[in-house]
Amino acid sequence: MLKSWIPSLGRLRLIVQLLMLFLCVYGAVFVGSYSADKLSRALPALSCAYDQMNGGYCVLIRAQHTLHHSIGMVIARAGEVTFSTLLPLLFIVGAFFAFFFVLGKAFCGWVCPLGTLQELVGRIGRRFGIGVRRIEPGDLWPVSRVRPVKWLLLVGLVFLLPLLTGLGLTPHALGNPYCDVCPARIATTLLSGNADQLALNLGNAWSFGLGALANWLIGFMLVGALALRLPFCRICPLLAFNAIFQRLSPARLSKPSRAKCGNCRICTDACPMDIPEISQGEGKKAYNEDCTLCGRCAEYCPQDDVIRIQWAKVNVFRSSRAYYKARVREALPDGTVKPAAKGQGDA
Amino acid sequence: MRFILSFALLLGMSGALWAQHDGHRQPGGERGAWTTQPLLLLERGEDRASASLRLRGPTALLVTVFGPAGGERLFELIDDRAQIEVADAGIGNYHWLQVREEKPQHVGVAATVWYSSLAGPSPRRLLETRHSELEIVPAPLPREHANYRESEKWQFVVRYEGQPLAEQRLLLETEHGSRGTFVTDAQGVATVLFPRDFAGKPGRSGHGARPKAGFVLRTEHVDAGRHFVTTFNATYGEDVDRGSSLGWGAAFGVFGMLSALPLLRQRKRRVSKEQSC
Repeated sequence: MLKSWIPSLGRLRLIVQLLMLFLCVYGAVFVGSYSADKLSRALPALSCAYDQMNGGYCVLIRAQHTLHHSIGMVIARAGEVTFSTLLPLLFIVGAFFAFFFVLGKAFCGWVCPLGTLQELVGRIGRRFGIGVRRIEPGDLWPVSRVRPVKWLLLVGLVFLLPLLTGLGLTPHALGNPYCDVCPARIATTLLSGNADQLALNLGNAWSFGLGALANWLIGFMLVGALALRLPFCRICPLLAFNAIFQRLSPARLSKPSRAKCGNCRICTDACPMDIPEISQGEGKKAYNEDCTLCGRCAEYCPQDDVIRIQWAKVNVFRSSRAYYKARVREALPDGTVKPAAKGQGDA
Repeated sequence: MRFILSFALLLGMSGALWAQHDGHRQPGGERGAWTTQPLLLLERGEDRASASLRLRGPTALLVTVFGPAGGERLFELIDDRAQIEVADAGIGNYHWLQVREEKPQHVGVAATVWYSSLAGPSPRRLLETRHSELEIVPAPLPREHANYRESEKWQFVVRYEGQPLAEQRLLLETEHGSRGTFVTDAQGVATVLFPRDFAGKPGRSGHGARPKAGFVLRTEHVDAGRHFVTTFNATYGEDVDRGSSLGWGAAFGVFGMLSALPLLRQRKRRVSKEQSC
């Protein structure tokens, strides 16, 4: 019975993603209006604080607020930084790390509501036969040109500008600039029936510009995700924030050696982030900063025990030829559902 | 990517000096010469654990601050002003502020809420706790990034001795001159529609530079010959659609969609490799 409901890791991940999407966007309906405060401490890095029905707040808005209101303003007023000034930020990072200590980068691949939405759009694209575009030489761009963007957004929009605004050096409208450009703000509020966040503020040029960029991003994401898997995740500062701690988490991707690897690159084809290192590398190099621990590379590796998803060195899932054969009967590595499997696929 | 890099650089180069903002002020009462009802008016404190309070209307010597963790502190009003602090050291979030004027046949209570941006427990317990005989209690309070706003409906519970009071009249007055009456249902809940009265009115800038104005709710009840009058005041903001354009927002969304259309062009398919392994 369980096997028929959850025949693959991909199906299990889809179920978890949908449950977490529901919690993130509508969670307050079930656990009360003020639950976001509580859940945010237990499960930081959840949903958009602008969504009034959600079950938790995103860690990025808390980081920006602390830098803007607490640290920046205190430095501006008193000209000094004390331990108590930094304490809120340390708590945020600590809570964030505690969360990621358990889940690691699986947050991105299993929990993030924006990731889930992009994957759902991608499924629609596969169903309508739209071919997958890739961030790789010969198609769009090499990954080396895209990867720095998320670090730039993390440093610039999440840390630097809120701090400068707290210091009074940049306009107030730049107090939480990442939230202003985040497409999740628009996506999750629209899902809760609120179109307010789609409207642009005409009274402030900065607000208008940032909001326009967010709207452009959500539009680009909704159409682009039909062909390009997880378009926004590739520049998401939360992925970068997460990557800082990925070596510390017991949850990880493991490819100890290429000795048994067939060099077929199917794992990279299956990877929604188009990570070439998973097929070309081994050891630490294989667990790349862009990895979301979705597990698709392990699912689509045709060699026994080459790629593993581990938690505290325990194999949660490992590649096997038998699993690969069953999986590929339903869907191709890029998610395209085979004609015979249409209607029952879960790629 | 070039566009995003350019945009980030543009943001980073900005050096305009701006005045200090008034933080994430949640709905607490502020100035008021627009009503004869008592008002508790809040101003920003020196830090996140304090605020300045000004009382308009009743004669009271003390203001009580109830904290979300169960703490309770009294602060002296001098010339109708008090410097208040969080009820429990280091614990923020919503606090309930209340002054009380008591005579043999009359009990007047004025209340508001104050949001300290220090971390603190949810206000659920705070709002369930009985603070006076007759109470007007928000149900719920606005969460972060929300506020009472014109054209919106928000619910308030009227309780007497901790029990919901049905068929109770609730009077609304706003700083912009609107007046209204609402009646509680069998559960003691009144659904208050905030009037759309910001048009052409000068407002004060809150966080995000959106104007705010004060409002006060009043109810009264007579029991055993005693007359109870309670008010709750706070602020409400202008409708988000004022000064905003959904059309422009949708236009940029559509522009983003059009920008992504080239991605949908088919590329040359590589030979599927699953057959070769």
